[in-house]
Amino acid sequence: MKTATDSRQWFTQLLQQEDSAAAVETHAWLNRARDAARSALHTLPLPEKKQEAWRYTSIEGLLEHEFEPVSADFDALQVEDIDTWLLPDTRAYRLVFANGRFVPALRNFDQLPDGVTIGSLRHALSHDPVSLAIWFGQTADHAEHIFTALNTALINDGLFIHIKRDVILERPIEVVHLNLGLETPQLIQPRNLLVLERGANARLIERYESSGTSVYFHNAVSEILLEDNAALTHYRLQQESPRAYHLHQSFLAQAAHSQYRSTSLALGGKWARHDLEICFQAEGADCDTNGLYLAGNKQLVDQHLNIKHSRPRNASRHNYKGILHGSGRAVFDGRILVDKDAQKTDAHLFNKNLLLSRNAEVDTKPQLEIYADDVKCSHGTTVGQLEPEQLFYLRSRGIEPTLAMKMLCLGFAGEILDNIDLQPVREHAEQQVHELLDRIADKLGERLDD
Amino acid sequence: MLSIKNLRANVDDKPILNGLNLEIKPGEVHAIMGPNGSGKSTLAHILAGRDGYDVTDGEVVYQGKDLLALNTEQRAHQGLFLAMQYPVELPGVNTMTFLRESLNAIRRARGEAELDAVNFIKLVREKARLVHMDDRLLKRNVNAGFSGGEKKRNEILQMALLEPRLAILDETDSGLDIDALRIVADGINALRSPERAIVLVTHYQRLLDYIEPDQVHVLANGRIVRSGDKELAQLLEQKGYRWIEQEAAA
Repeated sequence: MKTATDSRQWFTQLLQQEDSAAAVETHAWLNRARDAARSALHTLPLPEKKQEAWRYTSIEGLLEHEFEPVSADFDALQVEDIDTWLLPDTRAYRLVFANGRFVPALRNFDQLPDGVTIGSLRHALSHDPVSLAIWFGQTADHAEHIFTALNTALINDGLFIHIKRDVILERPIEVVHLNLGLETPQLIQPRNLLVLERGANARLIERYESSGTSVYFHNAVSEILLEDNAALTHYRLQQESPRAYHLHQSFLAQAAHSQYRSTSLALGGKWARHDLEICFQAEGADCDTNGLYLAGNKQLVDQHLNIKHSRPRNASRHNYKGILHGSGRAVFDGRILVDKDAQKTDAHLFNKNLLLSRNAEVDTKPQLEIYADDVKCSHGTTVGQLEPEQLFYLRSRGIEPTLAMKMLCLGFAGEILDNIDLQPVREHAEQQVHELLDRIADKLGERLDD
Repeated sequence: MLSIKNLRANVDDKPILNGLNLEIKPGEVHAIMGPNGSGKSTLAHILAGRDGYDVTDGEVVYQGKDLLALNTEQRAHQGLFLAMQYPVELPGVNTMTFLRESLNAIRRARGEAELDAVNFIKLVREKARLVHMDDRLLKRNVNAGFSGGEKKRNEILQMALLEPRLAILDETDSGLDIDALRIVADGINALRSPERAIVLVTHYQRLLDYIEPDQVHVLANGRIVRSGDKELAQLLEQKGYRWIEQEAAA
């Protein structure tokens, strides 16, 4: 058990490594942000049980490790080296980040349509700092979130997407965050910034993968700005090392009549948490988020949602499902806040969990806080097991119990997977879920025969 | 084919079957009738291997094997089929996937090759015609949003596809209007064969207007209290079950 002083030191010691991290081009505005973030690391409350946001999610395991910044160079990587992690047939503009560093040679395009920038944040900081100064830090709040402060204080690289007014990007964008196992635990901190101007339209496939079973801490921050009438479809597939710590804090700002659709899969990692904060800045915007998480074998998976309906006439729907097996644990904390001015809000939040073992656990907490009086809101949560009647039905038709359980789990997950409109992405996701279920099905079968 | 001797079973320590005897030969159609609570569905469930029943005495020999020693899927592999009284919905499980996994599991158990997708679809279409089942239903998830009649037709479709040696139809007539009843009965009649035995578990005689049984048994208080031919069913229809219960008690 670490003392508060120890925990504080864990954060502040990481700051001293800053010099060893390759410095990005500095600008006065960026220095100010970094300085503020550094100070915040000394003063922000530490993540612990008495904080609502960390009530069910302990960071003690994380603090056991000493992480080092990424110092290796990945420029020598060739496409052949990373073949196994690439999706076939997506027709996507592909970018690869290795341990948080952009690898130019793994990009599969030379030219982009007019008005489209897809590249690294570090590059953008040297080429278009004026625009970045406007967007950077607009939504991500390092004054409130200690891990966002850590990311900002040590900012190095990440994804930068900028799509200009009314540009409709036909091909999807695929970003592979590949974490290559190294001997010492690494601190990998991508900082992503996506800006879709008025009327722009894009699809993003964001994937988090590992090459092995190494320990690392992936502390990502994403800022997504959707201007008026912009539309983003976002697929987020996270499947990492069984010893990896993964935290991703995403901050999304939606202007008038913008649309955001996302399907997020959390399928692997020792400790994987995704925080999604959505802020409606005007009226008429629509947001639809879906998620599927699987955890077992002492894994923790955590999904936090903070949906701020602060303006009238915005709609949001959120549907998350989880399958927990073995000693897997899940935390779902979904909050929808409807301010008193946010009349005609239409907001719905659902979380369903399937527990496949006695030791599996879920802490689910959907919350609606409504201060307006003319709204349509609902929320619901379920935690259940496979129905014995359904299993019996399948078995009575000759289907082995392991396959029967797998079919029912896939049926449960299908509601989320079916939302993925890009076929290669959906097939890849389905295959990953299939393989995970195959691995756990045998253990389940043993238990059933007891 | 099936020989049940002195079968006794409890549910939650309450005796439901109290020494039941039954002999069924290949090619025969037996009707088991009885009032509510007489143990009809319990018998069907025990034969199919459902959990929650304690067999306290007796034996069930099926094709020379101790049926009760087999688990549910092994019984299906050996050709036993139960058409459920209340077929459950399987959310997210596509009907075609379900039928294919089921058929292939049974074919594997019989040492036959699995059917490929094309031949499987052809076969399902052919069998679906037998019970007038719409293609649209086959594309849905299993029993999801099916009417009562559609669920029962889906059960008979599965029976047609899996070609069991012993089919037990648990209250297959319940909840069917007269047209649906005729379709289901026609389907069952089409599946009568010299190698296959069929057990109709029913409360009412009306199903037997369409499917003529070789033997009719009356179940009361967990035992077969009377057996006869189809005229016994007609007698029950006229006089009700009380008559036979009283006679059995006397």
